[in-house]
Amino acid sequence: MAGSIKKVCVIGAGVMGSGIAAQVANAGLPVLLLDILPKDGANRNAVAEGAVARALKTDPAPFMSAGAAKLIECGNIDDDLARVAECDWIVEVVLERLDVKQALYHKLEVVRRPGTAISSNTSTIPLQTLLGGMPESFARDFMITHFFNPPRYMRLMELVTGPATDQALAAVVAQFCDRALGKSVVVCHDSPGFIANRLGVFWMTGAVTETPEIGLTIEEADAIMGAPFGVPKTGVFGLSDLVGLDLMPHVNASMAGALPKTDEFHTINRDMPVVRRLLETGYTGRKGKGGFYRINKSGGKRVKESVDLKTGEFRPERKANLPELEAAGRDIRKLFEAPGKVGAYAWNVMGRTLAYAARLVPEAADEITAIDEAMRLGYNWKFGPFELIDKVGVDWFVARLRAENIAVAPILEKAASKTFYRVENGKKQFLGLDGAYHDLKRPDGVLMLEDIKLAGKPVLKNSSAAVWDVGDGVLCFEFTSKSNSLDEQIMALLQKTIALVKEKYKALVIYNEGSNFSVGANVGLALFAANIAAWAQVEAMIATGQDMMQKLKYAPFPVVAAPAGMALGGGCEFLLHSDAVQAYAETYAGLVECGIGLLPGWGGCKEMLGRWVTDPKMPRGPMPGPTKVFEMISTAKVGRSAADAREMLILRGGDGVTMNRYRLLADAKAKALKLVDGYKPQEPREIVLPGPSGKVAMDQAVAGFAKLGVATKHDIVVGGELAVVLSGGGTDIIDVVKESKILVLERESFLRLLRTPATLARIEHMLETGKPLRN
Amino acid sequence: MVNVVIAGYARSPFTLARKGALARVRPDDLAAEVVRGLIEKTGVKPEDIEDIIMGCAFPEGEQGMNVARLIGLLADLPLSVGGCTVNRFCGSSMQSVHMAAGQIRLGAGDVFIAAGVESMSRIPMGGYNPLFNPVLAKKSPGAYMGMGETAENVARRWQITRDAQEEFAVKSQKKAASAQAAGKFKDEIVPIHAKAGVIDSDGCIRGDTTKETLAGLKLAFDQEGTVTAGTSSPLTDGASAVLVCSEEYADKHGLKKLARIKSVGVAGVEPEIMGIGPVRSSRKALDRAGLKGTDMDVVELNEAFASQSLASMSEIGFREETVNIDGGAIALGHPLGATGARIVGKAASLLAREGGKYAIATQCIGGGQGIATVLERI
Repeated sequence: MAGSIKKVCVIGAGVMGSGIAAQVANAGLPVLLLDILPKDGANRNAVAEGAVARALKTDPAPFMSAGAAKLIECGNIDDDLARVAECDWIVEVVLERLDVKQALYHKLEVVRRPGTAISSNTSTIPLQTLLGGMPESFARDFMITHFFNPPRYMRLMELVTGPATDQALAAVVAQFCDRALGKSVVVCHDSPGFIANRLGVFWMTGAVTETPEIGLTIEEADAIMGAPFGVPKTGVFGLSDLVGLDLMPHVNASMAGALPKTDEFHTINRDMPVVRRLLETGYTGRKGKGGFYRINKSGGKRVKESVDLKTGEFRPERKANLPELEAAGRDIRKLFEAPGKVGAYAWNVMGRTLAYAARLVPEAADEITAIDEAMRLGYNWKFGPFELIDKVGVDWFVARLRAENIAVAPILEKAASKTFYRVENGKKQFLGLDGAYHDLKRPDGVLMLEDIKLAGKPVLKNSSAAVWDVGDGVLCFEFTSKSNSLDEQIMALLQKTIALVKEKYKALVIYNEGSNFSVGANVGLALFAANIAAWAQVEAMIATGQDMMQKLKYAPFPVVAAPAGMALGGGCEFLLHSDAVQAYAETYAGLVECGIGLLPGWGGCKEMLGRWVTDPKMPRGPMPGPTKVFEMISTAKVGRSAADAREMLILRGGDGVTMNRYRLLADAKAKALKLVDGYKPQEPREIVLPGPSGKVAMDQAVAGFAKLGVATKHDIVVGGELAVVLSGGGTDIIDVVKESKILVLERESFLRLLRTPATLARIEHMLETGKPLRN
Repeated sequence: MVNVVIAGYARSPFTLARKGALARVRPDDLAAEVVRGLIEKTGVKPEDIEDIIMGCAFPEGEQGMNVARLIGLLADLPLSVGGCTVNRFCGSSMQSVHMAAGQIRLGAGDVFIAAGVESMSRIPMGGYNPLFNPVLAKKSPGAYMGMGETAENVARRWQITRDAQEEFAVKSQKKAASAQAAGKFKDEIVPIHAKAGVIDSDGCIRGDTTKETLAGLKLAFDQEGTVTAGTSSPLTDGASAVLVCSEEYADKHGLKKLARIKSVGVAGVEPEIMGIGPVRSSRKALDRAGLKGTDMDVVELNEAFASQSLASMSEIGFREETVNIDGGAIALGHPLGATGARIVGKAASLLAREGGKYAIATQCIGGGQGIATVLERI
């Protein structure tokens, strides 16, 4: 179905329009991006072209690769509108003005192919209003697809259809957004603000107006609203700065205009003098010179400052110090019950938001699951509102609402003495408005480890890893250690797993559902061993890791690694030793060991050398491959997408990219099964390396950077050891180097580096601060 | 004795490596078009040409495989014309001129094309496989030293301040820009026909550069140094060629003689201060001609870096107003292998254009060498 969209036209090249166009291009599809004619100048496509040029410079990057930008063809509405006939989906992202949108729709109706889906990215105008006066043929193909900013990174897409919308066509668009654009499609009713913004604006407005009234500082408010509720640490004020303060009055006014007089939003939507003052003095948020928070660079130093809500003046940031908050920890009920300002603020803002969320069923969505998903993915909440209510306890929550004369929504009544979610027969269920529990249904083809874990027990398990049967003869190896850091327990379980798959299964997938695949080896262990001079143990740790990686690589069954998020250091080495990688598009992979004064010791050097030296696109001779690998590893380069990882040859030709995080395990499993028939383990590589001559050139490169002040004193030492490994030690260009030889070099250099005080200082600093030490 | 003359000079536009208009042009195609252009411009009979001597600093990849011969074939020269590639790094195509002159005096031919080419976009500086001798690297660190570092060494040793370097660079840019505006490069540039269209003008020149903009640039090689990208020649793509023949041949066939080659010189210096190479080599050539630096009316001194240019100028004693009248490599660019033939051809043309009696073209060479050619007005 998704295959029926082969080209997309995006009309409107603002931040959202160009972002949506970029994401379509990231998916590998051609895009026609149109905007109005420029006010002046000869280039009639200047507006759209300017937007693409800006997007290429934006950080975080809307494009996953520079190549993706080439898939966007820019044009203008006056000359090129007829070309929408080439496209299978038209996304309208123009000004939020009904007259402008409808004028465009009338023009589109003349030139588009009938049956081509048209959607609006409106965030405020109801679908029925947009359709007013439009012909039936238009209404049949029309829907709202509401993306979140930035479209590449925000996984939510709200879909609104009307009674006249062709549901089969809507399904095609939904499938495309799911599989190609990687979005979680939440079906919403045609109600103001749909789900996420309706609730998010309520929450933020409440939080901003309550803070001065209760008498908290903005740091205190953000501390209460952040971690305890699983809300990103930007809290509310930080988030407002990120979104743009200038949007707040506009969004609130349009929300107020669209909602019925009886809606509770009107009671919290009060005047916000502090926002007004900030806007008057030009503070629009992070895109400008700051908002509630700013970085004061005067006086040569960078000082983070925040607005004092009493005086309206900036002052140095004051970290929140709230004993009541500390006492409550992550216990939300305790937080709601906390004495004084803390409890009052938590309840007045989040308590009321949760009550408001409950009223959105069925007004904005049929089920609570849609609302939870929208808040998780649209506002990056760790838990949706109903998950939060479950944590508080439905009965306690309802009792408090009653005590305060706050209206209790029907879904809350139905949940009396129950929870909104439960696990029954190994399946997650949610409570419906009918008072019954229903199985949580994933979109077709989605396979989640989270679900598999509810349904059964692991096949194998220890303190750092678990192995799950994901069906059809495929096992899934899951890291479970803190931050998925790699340790000897993981290696021990991997050994058992390899034996087990050999005996009883067909293939192995390495996958987990943490925010990061793995940020690498547990270097705390290495530091500890070094501090007690347990060198033999360190060497054993390296040797075991190398041995396991080789076993993984040469196992008699297919191994597929499926990373998402960061795959660094040892995490990246897992990818490099798998038969294939099925990566989530947002995978950030790289060998970063040099940053802490070490080098890849589990075969990372060996695998990268093998790939670059044998890459047919590289110039011939012993130097180009090792030089390229040296550049990447010595600078601890991390790819900024799966597409980037492919450029770095961490992904290879046959490796796949999954755009939708939810579909990663299913895709990885399918890839593994595809490799089963006629599977032959890889042959060990033998390569030619430059030897000591090559090391001279690598050393010289580092020395040059050191002279420039880019490389540090210890970088020269680390680079020198890396050069030994990557040049093949004492090899000669008429000899071939075996994998085993490179592994020995890795091990020796790793140990030599670990014995340097500067490396130990780097590791210690990283463990303490999370930041690299540049010594 | 047989007199040897420069009887024609042509070059491609010089454009920035990787960013410029020639980045996507193969160096062999580029040089072939310049050679063809030189032949058409001079009217020399192709069948009379003995040999193409092509200078190239990194003769590999698309400029490898004895590219001189391939360029002859690409340029549809008669099959009887030979082709030989020579490498003396930045001095490569000045070496081509010297070899041609030597051959003519030896009686080993009457007409030669002495040319040079370098695509710094397409072939990395240092080549694809820099395999340095570890023993030599220890024994003589300057042997493989980066050029920027040598420029810093010269700046330190001769106490050339950043300010002086920047003043020199701005002047070079202004001279090049006004020469370009006055159309003074038109008759030396051969338009190049690339897939993307015709490329017929230089791309490196920044006429609006000021001392203020240069003062704001970051140091390029050494955080405690003085050299920036603005006081260095940019990485450049380009090709150049001169027609070298006996005076008798030129007269007989009515070729336009630009200048007579009076003397040449080449000399080694400490690798760590290679930029000072012009001094010893120029002195050798001048001595052989019985002349002094101050006798020169036209000087083409390759501006690899402002620091080495200034140090060399003062050591040799050139008069400032004679040096790089139409701007130098800091403005025009320095496609390594192509520079030597450009500055010989340019010095000869300037001598014809500006008048005066003597000209010199000289340059420094990585690894610690210099090369020089003294010309005489006919």
